Amino acid sequence: MAFVEIRDLSKKFGDNQVLDHIDLDIEKGQVVAIIGPSGTGKSTLIRCLNRLEKPESGSISFHDQKYDLTTKNHKEILSLRQHTEMVFQQFNLLKNKNALENIMEGLVTVKKLGKEEAREIALREIDKVGMLDRINHYPAHLSGGQQQRVAIARALSMDPELLLMDEPTSALDPELVGEVLLTIKTIAQEGNTILLVTHEMDFVRKVADRVIFLENGKIVADGTAKEIFDKPSNERLRQFLVKVKMLEGSEYNI
Amino acid sequence: MPNLFDLKLVFTQIPKLLEELPVTLELVFFALIISFLLGVVIALIRVANVPVLSKIAVAFVSLMRGTPIIVQLYATYFGIPIFLRYVNYYRGTEYNVNGIPGIVFAIIALGLNHSAFDSETIRSAILSVDKGQIEAGKALGMSNFQVFRRIIFPQAGEVALLPLGNSIIGLIKGTSLAFSCGVVEMTAVGKILAGRNYRYFEVYVSLGIIYWVITLVLEFIIKRLEKKVRVPKEAPELKAEELEALRKNLQTVSAARPVKEGVANGVC
Ligand SMILES: Nc1ncnc2c1ncn2[C@@H]1O[C@H](COP(=O)(O)OP(=O)(O)O)[C@@H](O)[C@H]1O
Ligand SMILES: [Mg+2]
Repeated sequence: MAFVEIRDLSKKFGDNQVLDHIDLDIEKGQVVAIIGPSGTGKSTLIRCLNRLEKPESGSISFHDQKYDLTTKNHKEILSLRQHTEMVFQQFNLLKNKNALENIMEGLVTVKKLGKEEAREIALREIDKVGMLDRINHYPAHLSGGQQQRVAIARALSMDPELLLMDEPTSALDPELVGEVLLTIKTIAQEGNTILLVTHEMDFVRKVADRVIFLENGKIVADGTAKEIFDKPSNERLRQFLVKVKMLEGSEYNI
Repeated sequence: MPNLFDLKLVFTQIPKLLEELPVTLELVFFALIISFLLGVVIALIRVANVPVLSKIAVAFVSLMRGTPIIVQLYATYFGIPIFLRYVNYYRGTEYNVNGIPGIVFAIIALGLNHSAFDSETIRSAILSVDKGQIEAGKALGMSNFQVFRRIIFPQAGEVALLPLGNSIIGLIKGTSLAFSCGVVEMTAVGKILAGRNYRYFEVYVSLGIIYWVITLVLEFIIKRLEKKVRVPKEAPELKAEELEALRKNLQTVSAARPVKEGVANGVC
């Protein structure tokens, strides 16, 4: 049995079938990148896994603990969310708390740790993302890249089994993308299990253990970075790679 | 020259008026509790769009905003006793309708009136909270109540602080109408005093000064509060020696305990 097993995940918005019976296994420590054209349901897939979106069908298992993703039971949803953490495109740090308090928040309210213990963990995590000198800064005082690094520290402090990241660098100025990608690379190498949506193809090629190409709510291709980028077997995938300039394609060359 | 305006009296009668300040403050205090609590409840009902209740809330707010406060005070003063007599009649209860002090009606009327306005303030403050931060709280595993208490309430509170402060100021001034429910508060005492010596203008100047000073004090407190909850403009810098101490501490802690990954993720 895989570390994380996602089964039969389907989601509709009105008549729009955004996710179409998705199955996905993720091994412990794997970094899985989801790529695909905009509007194909990458965000929706990630958001269904921690129930920010309610799918029509689907389940997720962590070792032997299985969750019905369609459940309406609040307790069950809260329990599911303890297994995952999420890094958002817009960082979503609490604006009225400083960097350290942002990281302590979940530890204190959700994990019910004492202030001292929470502070110690938060300091360790914020140090890892290189922000120890800015613990007293509020989000308004931090650049986008710095906010995202704090948000990553916040997610990791909760010690999730699966870390969800939805385009963590898409809202950043180009010169700030690098520092966040470096942070993600570091936490990937530390053995965290990560499901990541991104358009940074060079990064995916270097860091992802596995790449999934999502289109029209279906997993169209699934393989190592080498298999996906160097020998794309699928025609739709090939077209996509040409568009994002990861593949030479005569008709798209400028 | 005849003594047209007795300036001295304006100040000498202030202590006499202030004797009834506790009544005014009592009115404000209890009406405030009703208004904030009901205001939050109405705001939540409308934000969550609770069926039926939401419609009732909209009608209530419209009624309270669409009628003069003085009408509401009289309606409460005469309406509640009628209602209680009905209850007494049909259920055989024996509420002593005449035993209810006038201040209760005034508190209810002022509280209800302000709750309508405050609910609008609170509602728009709640709606102003960034959806992304609410989702971040949920993703962390917070319950709905925790999301409300830790994220929505403090952030909406900051937004609502100033308008709610203005509402309290309005309430303080509104208490001067409580005499319509037979409550003898500051303004009513002023009228009684002036009725004896016909120094009406002087008494209203005295009252004006008192209300103004109270308002100034309140504005000062609200400004201080706002400064306290607001994110500072400048980032609070960490001193070099503090940073050094943090670094050292982290090193000793990490040396003393095994690497996190191996332990925490060991169970599979
Ligand atoms: N809340 C929503 N209501 C209706 N349609 C939505 C909603 N969220 C997303 N969609 C639609 O679902 C599809 C997939 O969206 P999304 O998962 O955000 O795509 P991606 O992240 O791959 O760009 C899009 O067609 C989008 O318009
Ligand atoms: Mg998206």
